[in-house]
Amino acid sequence: MAFIELDDIAKSFGSKPALDGVSLAIERGETLAVFGPSGVGKTVLLRLLAGIMEPDRGDIRIGGASLLGVPPERREVAMAFQNFALYPHLTAFENIASPLRARQLDETQMKRRVGEIASLLRIDHVLDHLPRALSNGQKQRTALARSLVRAPAVLLLDDPLRNVDAKLRYEMRLELPRLFKRFGSTALYVTQDYREAMALGDRIAILLDHRLRQLGTPAEIYNHPADQRVARLFGDPPINLLPARVEASGGGATVRLFGQTLALRHRPVPAASGWDCLVGIRPEDVELSSEPIDGTAPFRLRATTPFSVRTALLLAGADGGELIASTTNPPAAETLWARFDLGRAVLFDAATGTAL
Amino acid sequence: MASLTLEKLGKTFGKLRAVGDVDLAIADGEIIGLLGSSGCGKTSTLRMIAGFERISEGTVRIGDRPVNLLPVAARNVAMAFEGYSLYPPLTVAENIAFGLKRRFAKAEVGRKVAEIARLLEIGDILEHYPSAISGGQQQRVSLARALVRQADVYLLDEPMSQLEPQLRAVLRVRIKDWLRRHRMTTVFVTHDQTEAIALADRIAVMDQGALQQFGTSADLLDRPVNLFVAGFVGEPPMNLIEAEVLRRDGRLALAALDRDGRTAFELMLPSAPAGKTIERMLEAGRRITIGFRPQSASLAVDDRRQGAGAPASLTIRGRVVSNEWLGDQSHVGIEAGGLFLIAVTDGRIALAEDGAVTLALRPEALHAFDRETGRALIHGGSIAEAARHAA
Repeated sequence: MAFIELDDIAKSFGSKPALDGVSLAIERGETLAVFGPSGVGKTVLLRLLAGIMEPDRGDIRIGGASLLGVPPERREVAMAFQNFALYPHLTAFENIASPLRARQLDETQMKRRVGEIASLLRIDHVLDHLPRALSNGQKQRTALARSLVRAPAVLLLDDPLRNVDAKLRYEMRLELPRLFKRFGSTALYVTQDYREAMALGDRIAILLDHRLRQLGTPAEIYNHPADQRVARLFGDPPINLLPARVEASGGGATVRLFGQTLALRHRPVPAASGWDCLVGIRPEDVELSSEPIDGTAPFRLRATTPFSVRTALLLAGADGGELIASTTNPPAAETLWARFDLGRAVLFDAATGTAL
Repeated sequence: MASLTLEKLGKTFGKLRAVGDVDLAIADGEIIGLLGSSGCGKTSTLRMIAGFERISEGTVRIGDRPVNLLPVAARNVAMAFEGYSLYPPLTVAENIAFGLKRRFAKAEVGRKVAEIARLLEIGDILEHYPSAISGGQQQRVSLARALVRQADVYLLDEPMSQLEPQLRAVLRVRIKDWLRRHRMTTVFVTHDQTEAIALADRIAVMDQGALQQFGTSADLLDRPVNLFVAGFVGEPPMNLIEAEVLRRDGRLALAALDRDGRTAFELMLPSAPAGKTIERMLEAGRRITIGFRPQSASLAVDDRRQGAGAPASLTIRGRVVSNEWLGDQSHVGIEAGGLFLIAVTDGRIALAEDGAVTLALRPEALHAFDRETGRALIHGGSIAEAARHAA
């Protein structure tokens, strides 16, 4: 039995569905990233767990006990929002301590707990400041400390780094996993940023059209996306989706891409001849050379756009088709030869978009 | 097409000086990004070029012609602005063709509209009316209308802000190709540095109404003129650390300081000839801010396998806080003497959480800034150069 179980949850607002038949099992201590486009029901999922609203259908259990009808204050759940609000008239210390005061913890214990979390979040030197004297980053950390301080069994985070400047966002992204582990919290972390989902989630739940589309580790989602929509949501620049028709050939199968006939090494061999598919190739799996090599097709370099450690290249094939490659070491030439490892390619049905 | 020159351009709203002293010389056919956070003055600057905003100080020239007093329509600029809306009674195709009909034959207009529509992936909505399409589609139609026009200068205000990230990533490479092929002098405003770096030939970084630096993305990343640019451009941001300059055995060293002013770790600089810039800029005892980019450090589980060519003195030993794989790269959080550092590697790297790690820097990767003024004192390139002379 998993620690948190969502069993066929549905919730709608009038005739508008927010969640439609979502089932999830989350292990104790796990961080689950909940990822999807805006309006897909991610925040509603958190609210149902927090008890701010009740589902129309289905059951929510923590530690085997149903939460239906249990008021928010009696659930061992803490929620932190996008806009962390602090009490303006209380110092950072008192803000962090407020959930403990509500539980009438004794003063010594409280000081110890607040001090410990403040030092982990590197705000121990500003504990006697009022919110208006804190930098944005310190405010964010203070609010996070407040939601962590009572070591809730379940921590719900609604896109907490969305409005944070880049420096703090990256730092927090790298520090949060350690904090979650330190406090033993099981966390649900809502985000619209695929990198954040990959960075923070032990597993990622992808919501599309108000349903759970895929649940898996970052590697499973990135390397084996359930369909072409999921494939496109993960990766920057996004995966190339190249239309092709599979042809049977001597017990195997081939596709023609950019004027070349390439053998598919997928097992099982994609069904019938004439199957229309999309060949999904990640830009970083395209190998480039300024000299022709075996098994490569020539491309014209159309544009080069540098980003982070890599450079993205827009290539045009002899048949006019477009291919995006990304490399750490872009060759300087007008014509480039590209080779891709079809063993790493993902095949999608052209009609349904579902992965083979 | 033409060049575009901004001379001491300024804008005041009452007592508030929103923009001041902006000098930009933009070559014919060049693509320029105005980059900054909201309120930095980038949009006011663009609006002054367009003619939507009266110029309070300075001059805007298109080619050799000052345009300060010319109305919008007489400046011969093509624009895609937020709120510079589409004509509701016209279809998407008619909106895009609007400025073309006087100049080109019907067949030619049709061909141009189809071409730009394919590029921006709006070919399937050409017969729709603006009210029937989404905000992201409207933005692409507005962009298409600007990009097919014949103009001296193209001005784009946050041209892809409404688009979903996957589409943005594809369109920015295609748009760059289009602007290049047609040699279009372009100025675009963005708060998204990925977009600025991807699309622009040169980037003008603005903050608090002032131009901070104007250069290629390599200039901004490798030679930031001040702490603002160093911290603002580059993702994840540059690691910035307070430090004190020391002299150890006749060589310069940098003591990185933690929040309480204690030494977190030391970096020994390669020896350099006395009296060189380094010695002048980094005299012993001086408190400075040092920085290095997350991408410029090479990581190893222990100090026996450090990055090729890195002198042993430029290494930092720390502990792995987290190692996050993001598909094509990994971000590693490292704690070193109480300081938190970020490193980025290509692909995956085998580093266990809580494990010991060595972070090796090449001299080229180091930057030093004045703590008070924020001005850059020296960049790694010159440190490395001096070291080569010494050797």
